[in-house]
Amino acid sequence: MICLARSLALTLVLVLLAPMVAVPVAVAAEDVKIALVAPLSGRWARQGQLKKMGAEMAIEEINSQGGIKALGGAKIVLREADAGDSVEKAVSAAQRVLTREKISAGIGSWLSSFTLGVTEVAERLQVPWLTLSYADSITERGFKYTFQSSPVSSAQAEQALDLVVELAKRNNRQIRKAAVVGDNTAATVFFFKPLREKLLAAKGIELVVDEVWTPPLADATSIVQKIRATQPDLVFYGATNFPDSIQVLQKVKEFGLKIHIQGVGAWLVTPEYVKTVGKELLDNIQTVVAAHPVKGQEELVKKFVQRTGEPFMTQDPLCTYAHVWLIKEAIEQAKSADPKAIRDALAKIDLTTGPAATSLAPGRIRFDERGRRIAAVPLIVQWQNGEPFTVVPQSLATRPVVWHK
Amino acid sequence: MVASDLAQYVATGLLVGGVYALMSIGLALIFGVMRVVNFAQGDFMMLGMYLTYYYAVAGHVDPLLGALLTIPPFFVLGLLVHRLFLARVTGGGDPNREMDAQLILTLGLSLVITNATTMILTPMPRGINAPYATKAFVAGPLLLNQARSYAFLMALLLAAAVYVLLTRTDLGKALRAAADDPEAAGYQGIDVRTMHGMAFGIGIALVAAAGGLLATYHPIEPNVAVNFIVLMFVAVVLGGLGSVPGAFVGGIVIGLVQSLTLLLLPLQLQNVGVFVTFLVVLYVRPQGLFGRRVRAV
Repeated sequence: MICLARSLALTLVLVLLAPMVAVPVAVAAEDVKIALVAPLSGRWARQGQLKKMGAEMAIEEINSQGGIKALGGAKIVLREADAGDSVEKAVSAAQRVLTREKISAGIGSWLSSFTLGVTEVAERLQVPWLTLSYADSITERGFKYTFQSSPVSSAQAEQALDLVVELAKRNNRQIRKAAVVGDNTAATVFFFKPLREKLLAAKGIELVVDEVWTPPLADATSIVQKIRATQPDLVFYGATNFPDSIQVLQKVKEFGLKIHIQGVGAWLVTPEYVKTVGKELLDNIQTVVAAHPVKGQEELVKKFVQRTGEPFMTQDPLCTYAHVWLIKEAIEQAKSADPKAIRDALAKIDLTTGPAATSLAPGRIRFDERGRRIAAVPLIVQWQNGEPFTVVPQSLATRPVVWHK
Repeated sequence: MVASDLAQYVATGLLVGGVYALMSIGLALIFGVMRVVNFAQGDFMMLGMYLTYYYAVAGHVDPLLGALLTIPPFFVLGLLVHRLFLARVTGGGDPNREMDAQLILTLGLSLVITNATTMILTPMPRGINAPYATKAFVAGPLLLNQARSYAFLMALLLAAAVYVLLTRTDLGKALRAAADDPEAAGYQGIDVRTMHGMAFGIGIALVAAAGGLLATYHPIEPNVAVNFIVLMFVAVVLGGLGSVPGAFVGGIVIGLVQSLTLLLLPLQLQNVGVFVTFLVVLYVRPQGLFGRRVRAV
């Protein structure tokens, strides 16, 4: 009887202890879920599709290299949610994906207007959120869980203007008159605002055309008529909606204008531009972006092209690729898949090596107390013979810049 | 503002409005004959754009010809959609319940077509890159975009053809009879259900052709319809619900107002002019510009 009681007691102890021994193993093997909230339908669906390609590539690399080592080789899995074509849909998608199951971190949502809404949800649910969106206001609300890897719009405007004025000087040109032409989405608004209010005047540049529209644009004739009448030396151009952008470019060609176009954002360097308007029209058009493949990333681009069938890699897949790697690094440092621990790790991170750091110029990732990446610099990308190349800064450039003839 | 600038705004408005007009008459025909508000009209236009694109890419067919070549397949598609879906919720029963079912059906069709196209063809925008999209006819101080000019002329021709069809042919008379008084038309030996199918087929074929013309200068993507569907409805209501000539004029008016609004308001408020005009017209003439108190085509 005593023997039976001992056996029972031993069994009970073993049963009680077993989970304590087994739990770490089970946790270690548990997948880490990352949310991607991006427009997968609607007028910005193409950008969402490109973001997804970047995320999937990074996840495949991480998982094939043994997953997250600090969590015993845990794999990363992606949970995507469609932000659609309105802020309401984006917020609803974020709410859905973040409450359905435990999500360790999130990425998105391309358009700054969407990101402003989605990060409110992430903040409330305390899930760290990485974004490539540019608008200053994203990190001006005192949020603790939002991390903005791109240089903000106003900083981009200042840096881009400096870079372009410098480029013009090097090519013996002077910029006296400028135009701002674009839609009223958040990133463009924040880019144009400082140009209008102080930056152009500070450099002695006269603003001769200021045309802003709500997408979709019915017709670009009036805009290009004004450009033709005033002949600006430089046009800051921010048309995030592809059909609007095409209309303006077609009209520029139709009117036979030779103007220097400086875009605002990576939407201007997607492959479909070549097929729609031809590479001749695009030649020498340049745009300021938060990320683009730079010198030394040739292998990454080659792999992306082989994997996706896209002709080249641009900001959207590259940033999302970097964000997934950055989350992985944060989890390694936090040694936990808990959102709060990842948030704290991201706030303290100082990364100078690895795929994330090399993808975001100037190659170092640190965030300030607002969640803005410290010393983030924009790049200038220029269309040359049907392909966009990084041309500024020179140290990272894959091609020399060509000033508009 | 000099006279040449004003003339350019008017010319641009007319060219833009021509294609709006062609888009809208198909919708007006469907509403006039069938009393169906077709929310999927813009999606059939989008499919017409894709077909024109594939004609151009795979068959090297000029998009202007391609736009015309969309008419036969889309007429058949319209007949099929009517037979398979719409016939079940039109032509009998409680009108209020039918109206609900029609709205849900056409809205559902719109969602299915947009999302299926996104899944199958991907959201990547496509473009035909027609050489005349970036060339202009020079008429004195005016520059008239060639693609829009050709599209405008073809829209006029197609609208005229529809007018002749409706007023000079037996089929047209039967369609108008089915619209005016379906019951009396039945007594006269007109198969109202077949007429509904014909109206839907013609309406879909017209909007597909309008899509084809649009594709000569506008990028093609699965959600392109949202940019135009509201304007189509405004044109149809402005012209007088169900009136084909009214929808044509409504489309032209929208193009003109969009363009001329820029003389008074910033570009950002371009569509404000359209909706203010819409409200004023409906206030002064609730049945629309060409509308009657009873439906007609």
